[in-house]
Amino acid sequence: MKMQIAINPRLRFHLSPFVAILLILMGIAFVVAMIRYIYGIGAISNLSNSYPWGFWISFDLFTGVAIGSGAFIMAATVYIFELKEFQPLLRPSVLTGFLGYIMVVVALLVDLGHPERIWYMMIHMNGTSVLLEIGICVMSYLTVLAIEFAPVVFEGLKWQKAAHTIHKFIMPFVILGVVLSTLHQSSLGSLLLIQPAKLYPLWWTPILPFLFFISAISIGLAMIIFESVLSSRYFHRGLEIHLLEKLGRAIPIVLAVYLIVRSTQLTLAGDLQYLFNSGGMSILFWAEIMIGSIIPLILFSLKKIRQSSKGLLIGAIILLVGMILDRFDVSWFAVQHPDPMTYIPTFMANNVHYLPSLPEISISIGIFSFGILAFGLAAKYLPLFEEEKK
Amino acid sequence: MTDIQNIKHKTFLFDATRCIDCRACMIACSVENNIPADKTRIWVAGVGLMGEYPNLGRASMVYHCMHCDEPDCLSACPVGAYSQRPDGPVLYDHNKCIGCRYCMNACPFGVPHFDFNKGLIDGAFIDKCTMCPQRIDIGLEPACIATCPTDALMFGERTDLLTEAHSRITAHPARYINHVYGETENGGTSYLILSHVPFAELGLPNLGSTPVRDVSEAVMGITIPFALTWGAVLTGITVGVHQFNKRKEQLAEAEAKAKPEELK
Repeated sequence: MKMQIAINPRLRFHLSPFVAILLILMGIAFVVAMIRYIYGIGAISNLSNSYPWGFWISFDLFTGVAIGSGAFIMAATVYIFELKEFQPLLRPSVLTGFLGYIMVVVALLVDLGHPERIWYMMIHMNGTSVLLEIGICVMSYLTVLAIEFAPVVFEGLKWQKAAHTIHKFIMPFVILGVVLSTLHQSSLGSLLLIQPAKLYPLWWTPILPFLFFISAISIGLAMIIFESVLSSRYFHRGLEIHLLEKLGRAIPIVLAVYLIVRSTQLTLAGDLQYLFNSGGMSILFWAEIMIGSIIPLILFSLKKIRQSSKGLLIGAIILLVGMILDRFDVSWFAVQHPDPMTYIPTFMANNVHYLPSLPEISISIGIFSFGILAFGLAAKYLPLFEEEKK
Repeated sequence: MTDIQNIKHKTFLFDATRCIDCRACMIACSVENNIPADKTRIWVAGVGLMGEYPNLGRASMVYHCMHCDEPDCLSACPVGAYSQRPDGPVLYDHNKCIGCRYCMNACPFGVPHFDFNKGLIDGAFIDKCTMCPQRIDIGLEPACIATCPTDALMFGERTDLLTEAHSRITAHPARYINHVYGETENGGTSYLILSHVPFAELGLPNLGSTPVRDVSEAVMGITIPFALTWGAVLTGITVGVHQFNKRKEQLAEAEAKAKPEELK
């Protein structure tokens, strides 16, 4: 990438301080990843036998997959429900999804003990493993997203015929993409089903996959709004605020369903007792419910908020923060591991703490920087937004 | 639960009242299985002093793989690196392992351990107790059992050891807590524990008799039928919406055509 910048004068604009910082962050992540490959995961992270999964799983896998859900929502809206007016939002969402999933895979290649064996998932299949399902779905969906995004690249290269051919056969891939997304968005929840004794009862429920799917839809909608408002600001293009307003209308409905299902589940499971007397767990629970569901539900119900770009942006950010907190809770904060090494006996309240190390976070930041840079380059050189089509 | 009633099911019995915390089992295990000095497959946990003078007590617990009858690690592993022998031992094959560490999350006892300090060249793998199948197969007891000086650890068929455990409780009801840990926990384990202090204090999780993998496996079981149904429904919706829009367009066109005629 650096070489290209030196050679191609068209790219010179991109070596702004912001891009330089992104490149430096990517460089740091690359060096840290090399150290991890030579000396092991423990050399750069605080992961241990007590906390085998940490920041990478919560941030890169759980959050990364969730914020990629905009791609299948827009594909379903435009292609399956034929709501063609949403066309302008389709390409940026598919690109966000595509880059998001690439970031997930790159992060997993750092997190896996044997990244070179990732393809073993295709030859040694264990049908009872939720992780296998997620692995297969993510791999297949990445292919589907590449096919969905290919026409944009072909148009950019002026290969109209190739773009047209893919467009003609896109429907089966769209349907496959929606099925795969439904499966793995919900399966991220199923991943925790095997930990009823470790995940705090406020979060563990057999309907976790269903809850994950509903919240993924709200995250996807918020993400489309977030990225549209931001790219209208930074790439100086028109804002389809009437479309975003319509998307915003769907959010309170999705969140209401989520809240009803979640509260019914807690009541039926008899877990209401934990709502107020579980210390930190109660605080986390209420924080995620307030920030992720109740406040955005109110905000997006107000027409005034939905019609202003600032209101939409703030509403989307609040929802994203709250729902990402939910992903962190389920995969990290509310999970308590027994610790046979130091033997702290009381099971549900042991004193083993895990905080990610700085190099560990720098890996995620580097991968994220790559995503931002790639999105920026695509926005500059590919017909990503509607007015540039034709 | 059918398999575990099998007379041929090998099992450990650990009696916390007999353990003197000598840790000979750890050494024997490491020697037998060539475990490097900085690692171990057995942890001996001391609870420390308990009670008030003059009624002071101590307890320690020998902790290794429980060899569940329905192993959660085996269910969770995406690449099938775990296997279970019909006579009990749950085994791990490092040639298949991709290092995802999902088994560590899945195991309610936190048994599988990972080489966090090894890079790609050395190869970072999971390690855990194997029940010494190389010894069982030639009629010997596992190394930890053979070395235990106080018979705190015993080895045998599961039914025999359950009878033995219950008869010890009956013989000394004041000494033991009236429960054999592992008889029903997590669907039954091949490591039975007798104790004079509550099991939670020994670091053992409070588990029901249904294995923790059950819900996850039930969900996995409906995944493929669900995917097929969902795909069919989506195809139906796609075709339906398309036909509906087409018909609407045709009607609008016909209307547009009809109108000028009326005007004539």
